[in-house]
Amino acid sequence: MKNRILDRISNISRRRLALTAVAVVLILVLLPTSARSQFGLDPCCAIISAGLQSISGLLKSVVAKPLGTIQQFEQQAADFEQQVVYPAAAINQARGLAAQFQGQFAQLRQLSQIAVASATLPNPQRLEQALLSRTVSAIPNVSVNYSAVYGPVMPATDAPQPVRDLVDATDAEAQAAMKKAIEIDALADLELQAAEQINQQLQNAAPGSAAILEAQTSAWLVRANAYTQSAMAELVRVRSIELANQGAQLKFSAGHTVTIRDQNGQLMQQGVR
Amino acid sequence: MKRISDFLGRLRQNRKHLRLLPVYVVMFCLLAGTARAGVADIISFLQTISSTLQNGIGDVLGKINKIKGTVNNLHQQVVWPINAINQAKGFVIATKGRYLGIFSQIRAIPLNSATLANPSRFEAVFRSANAGNVGQVQAAYAQVYAQVPPDTDAQPQQRNMIDMDDASAMASLKTSIMADQASGRMLSLADTLETQTSTSAPGSAPILAAQAQIANLENQAYLAKMLAADLRAEATKLAHGNAILKKSAESTRNLRLQIQQVVSHP
Repeated sequence: MKNRILDRISNISRRRLALTAVAVVLILVLLPTSARSQFGLDPCCAIISAGLQSISGLLKSVVAKPLGTIQQFEQQAADFEQQVVYPAAAINQARGLAAQFQGQFAQLRQLSQIAVASATLPNPQRLEQALLSRTVSAIPNVSVNYSAVYGPVMPATDAPQPVRDLVDATDAEAQAAMKKAIEIDALADLELQAAEQINQQLQNAAPGSAAILEAQTSAWLVRANAYTQSAMAELVRVRSIELANQGAQLKFSAGHTVTIRDQNGQLMQQGVR
Repeated sequence: MKRISDFLGRLRQNRKHLRLLPVYVVMFCLLAGTARAGVADIISFLQTISSTLQNGIGDVLGKINKIKGTVNNLHQQVVWPINAINQAKGFVIATKGRYLGIFSQIRAIPLNSATLANPSRFEAVFRSANAGNVGQVQAAYAQVYAQVPPDTDAQPQQRNMIDMDDASAMASLKTSIMADQASGRMLSLADTLETQTSTSAPGSAPILAAQAQIANLENQAYLAKMLAADLRAEATKLAHGNAILKKSAESTRNLRLQIQQVVSHP
């Protein structure tokens, strides 16, 4: 019995021993090189170390050095832009000037609004009020007020048709010029308002946005020049009509002379008979 | 032989414990293979990094460096060369110095020409370029051109026309006083702008240019106001001439009626 038990124990331990031996052999056979690299110093470590040192050297020479130069260039560029091209002091000074001009513009606007009316009689006062109103809504009143001061076109019984035509054309041009004067005054006020608003913007402008404001002001200038041109055109018309009237007076005088000469001739002939 | 068959028999009996053995074997095989391949990969990886640093990054950085240098040179030597900037500033100062004195001298030449007391006073008022004197125009004007005649001395339409002529003339004179003052202010603003330009930088110059354009717009508006005053004066002159024509037609009609009355009542 004892022998059988001993025999069995020896059989079991032998079996386990064999299994363990197979496993150990397998591990030893299959994990040779990698096991070496993981424990202790190995030639592979030297290779990696040399590689890393080479990379470090490359990072220093190929990457860090050019980056340093780029940083230097960037710094130079930044200094140049801050000190020469866009110095904050000069920019602030220019903005300060815009603030200073704002006050000047406001004073000038007040100056332009000083009353210049001078008429003393009721009808001229009404006409003058419309003319100096700087309000386009006053334009329809011009014709009525004008007639109250300068009278209407004479009736057909009082003057020949050519004279009535001339008078009507002259009245029309005089009134048109007056209406244009009101328009131009109103437009000039709008231009002054726009100029002050743009100037307000300029006080907070940057070098990059100032060009936009300059372009906008230039557009307003083109507009203002166009209005000035239209006022000049009206002025030319008034003067042309004045000149035409002078010529017409001469023509009428010549006509009268011919009539008188004809009538004298008729009287002389009657006297001879 | 018997032992072998016994061993196999026991293996079969302990199949439960042996089930994981192939897993262990495969795992060890794989671990060993990966570890062996890792060394070669690390070397290859290091070589790749090295090559990328030299060719990929190093070359590009070198080119960026070159471009940066070129752009900096372009900015400092071509676009905004300090010499040219200082030269332009110097030119502004020199031009201002050269012409400002001449402008001041020309503007200071007096234009007054009246010789008698009343016209001299009147002229002094409307050439004063001081809007504060606008209130004096009416009295000074009346001293020279007299007032509207009383209703006993002239017909209502004549009085109206005279009053309108006077009003138009005075309004234009007053406007001219204000325009002179505005013009003086604008000249002063132009001087300030020029002075500021002489200390400006390329970056602040656009703000000053915009400022100059705004002042130009203001100027244009005042010029338009002067033109409006001129238009009013010319229109009044035209209306006056026309009204005289109307009046003469009316006078002719009255004369004709009177002659007819005389002829019909001998």
